[in-house]
Amino acid sequence: MRVDFVDLKARYEEEKKELNECINRVLAKGNLVLSKEVDELETDICNYTGSRYCVGLNSGTDALMIALWANGIGKGDEVIIPSISFFATVGAVVHVGATPRFCDVNADMNIDVEYAENLITDKTKAIMPVHWAGRTANMSKIKDLAKRHTLLVVEDSAQSMGGRYNGQHPGTFGIAGAISCHPLKNLNGLGDGGLLLTSTDEIYQKAKRYRNHGMVQRDKAEIFGINSRLDTINAEVIKFRLRGLDKVISKRNENVRLYRELLNIDEITFPVSACGSDIDTQVMFIVRAKHRDALKEYLKSKEIEALVYYGTPLHLHEATINLGDGPGSLPTSENICSEVLALPHNQTLTSDQINFVCSEIKNFYKR
Amino acid sequence: MKVHYNYLPQEFAETSAIFDEWRILIESSDFTLGFYVEEFEKEFAKFAGVKHCVATNNGTDALILALKSIGVGTNDEVITVTNSFYATAGAIVAVGAIPVLVDCDDRFQICPKAIQSAITKKTKAILPVHWGGASPAIETILELASTYNLEIIEDACMGIGGSVGGKHPGSFGRVSAFSMHPLKSLNVMGDGGMVVTNDSDLNDWMRKYRNHGMISRDTIEFWGVNMRLQPLQAIVAKQRLQVLDETISKRNRNAKYLDENLSKLSKYVQLPNRIDTNVETFALYMGLFENRDRLKKFLKENNVEVKIHYPKPLHIQPAAQKSCIMGEKLTNSEYQAERLLTLPVHQYLDIQHMKYVCETIFAFYGYEDG
Ligand SMILES: Cc1ncc(COP(=O)(O)O)c(C=O)c1O
Ligand SMILES: Cc1ncc(COP(=O)(O)O)c(C=O)c1O
Repeated sequence: MRVDFVDLKARYEEEKKELNECINRVLAKGNLVLSKEVDELETDICNYTGSRYCVGLNSGTDALMIALWANGIGKGDEVIIPSISFFATVGAVVHVGATPRFCDVNADMNIDVEYAENLITDKTKAIMPVHWAGRTANMSKIKDLAKRHTLLVVEDSAQSMGGRYNGQHPGTFGIAGAISCHPLKNLNGLGDGGLLLTSTDEIYQKAKRYRNHGMVQRDKAEIFGINSRLDTINAEVIKFRLRGLDKVISKRNENVRLYRELLNIDEITFPVSACGSDIDTQVMFIVRAKHRDALKEYLKSKEIEALVYYGTPLHLHEATINLGDGPGSLPTSENICSEVLALPHNQTLTSDQINFVCSEIKNFYKR
Repeated sequence: MKVHYNYLPQEFAETSAIFDEWRILIESSDFTLGFYVEEFEKEFAKFAGVKHCVATNNGTDALILALKSIGVGTNDEVITVTNSFYATAGAIVAVGAIPVLVDCDDRFQICPKAIQSAITKKTKAILPVHWGGASPAIETILELASTYNLEIIEDACMGIGGSVGGKHPGSFGRVSAFSMHPLKSLNVMGDGGMVVTNDSDLNDWMRKYRNHGMISRDTIEFWGVNMRLQPLQAIVAKQRLQVLDETISKRNRNAKYLDENLSKLSKYVQLPNRIDTNVETFALYMGLFENRDRLKKFLKENNVEVKIHYPKPLHIQPAAQKSCIMGEKLTNSEYQAERLLTLPVHQYLDIQHMKYVCETIFAFYGYEDG
């Protein structure tokens, strides 16, 4: 049996008809730039997440960047981020001219709030928690910390569309949150897309103008902006897929339950929510595995595709090594990165496939 | 007769070839860079006669990427022209640099003399714009750049498919940007853009910056962002590139008709000089018209859709007051802004439409064509 890490093809087979309809609907109208479809999606996202405002953008990375920019974060400012995340978390901070400060994580792979407190200097403007793999960071603690030190909270909720913590949607705790609609996310387009969530009118107005050259109207620009528009075709596809998002997430949670039930062995451990979130989105199913690299190779020989997300914590990349204290400085992140493995996981995975993956993992450990 | 400015409905009436390839892409689910983007990049580099093309999310990102690639940043001055689209200045501001806005000439192009007098110790680059799809005096600008040791980044966003003495716009500077916005000569179904260069190091750097700085899935060389062209759009771009020469020649046929007829109104209408050795894309067919606002209204009443690019030069925008340095004399751009009108010449219009446009304009000025 062959088990791929992601299987977007299987998903396409399920949605063929609807996707074609989405594309046809959009092309029939011939308006492809910031059309009504984008407005409609923004409204739907607000209704779904409970966010006051939403702005459709070109990517999750742009959403982070614009969230930082709209909060006036730039040269000379420091932003605290966890050392486990995707590159874009750092890239967005660096792109606006600010300096990332890397923070260790907890066993749940999310930012360690006590550690973060030690990183605060008079240059710290914001803390940017990441809800890694769709598991919500401890937002109560983060908000409390931010309040005590008057920091802005910008959430990298790229992987959290559809999650819940204390009944609240990730990305709505701080002043702004960024969501990615990249094809590998739970709520995805047929290409890049991103959403900025915010609770304040000021950030909303700024972001809305900034994404479209700063234009107030065709003949007037109050500020100079950039071009970061969510495109109409993707807006229509995402709108359609939003209706099925809860089902996708519950299927993914079923997968995870089955994996955990079957992988009841000492060599494999599962990160669990440290703050008791209600719904994790399970964008990825990342476990910690003894002899990780050998296991990965073994699985590969059995046509099972498992991936390392990621082998190097952010503070140890060559491009950042000068910003932090080097190897050994963030031990939990470093340990985690040496053991993490993401198992094949998506909403079209069958229980047979999961059974097969688990039995091969047990074979590897001679269980 | 109705003469529309917007041609997208016609263009979208025939999308089956695009759909066929989209279906293949969606089935393959290769949505991040990949085959179609690479193919398009190769084809466009060949078309433009340059070594490298890096496809981006849009023309603005292309300009930002180009500026960053040569290290333009905080407090550097970049000289550009005041009659352009917001994004020209916006990209400079986005990298932390300062746009220095200078005047244009009678051809609506950046004025080399004005560039020269705006050069200071802080000047890092000149960013000439191929405004409307015509081209500035690029050779003179190249000489200036070499005399003062400045970089050149061409904003050739409107210049796709044009020619300057046989060379493609954007092939002169160290690095240049293009846009494939729906209203450009090569257009996609949403946003798209690209950067071209002959410099392999810049090419390498830009490829990485556009995709988070990644060398591989696990390794980054530096921190970048997400500026990728979507494969869906790469498919559209590839197909439209096949018919680009035809698109440009139809636009030129229409423009030529307007030139010949409107030049009879030299008392009221001033057209830019055409340069024999250049091919313009006519992304915008612009002229200066007496009583512009009344003419615009009259054309509208007679079903001819026209636009103004733009009623205000950049240096008059509120945005510029906070972020730009103004050139000494910006009088041409201000004079033109009061009189500019952009007439429709797109590839779905034929000579009958052009004739109607001319007759309507003749009627407005009370001119009887013999
Ligand atoms: C944690 C995190 N932040 C940011 C991003 C960037 O989002 P995008 O790929 O939409 O630019 C991603 C996803 O790729 C992500 O997983
Ligand atoms: C001269 C010029 N520069 C930059 C741009 C920006 O390109 P885009 O709309 O693809 O971001 C445009 C077009 O909109 C333009 O005409």
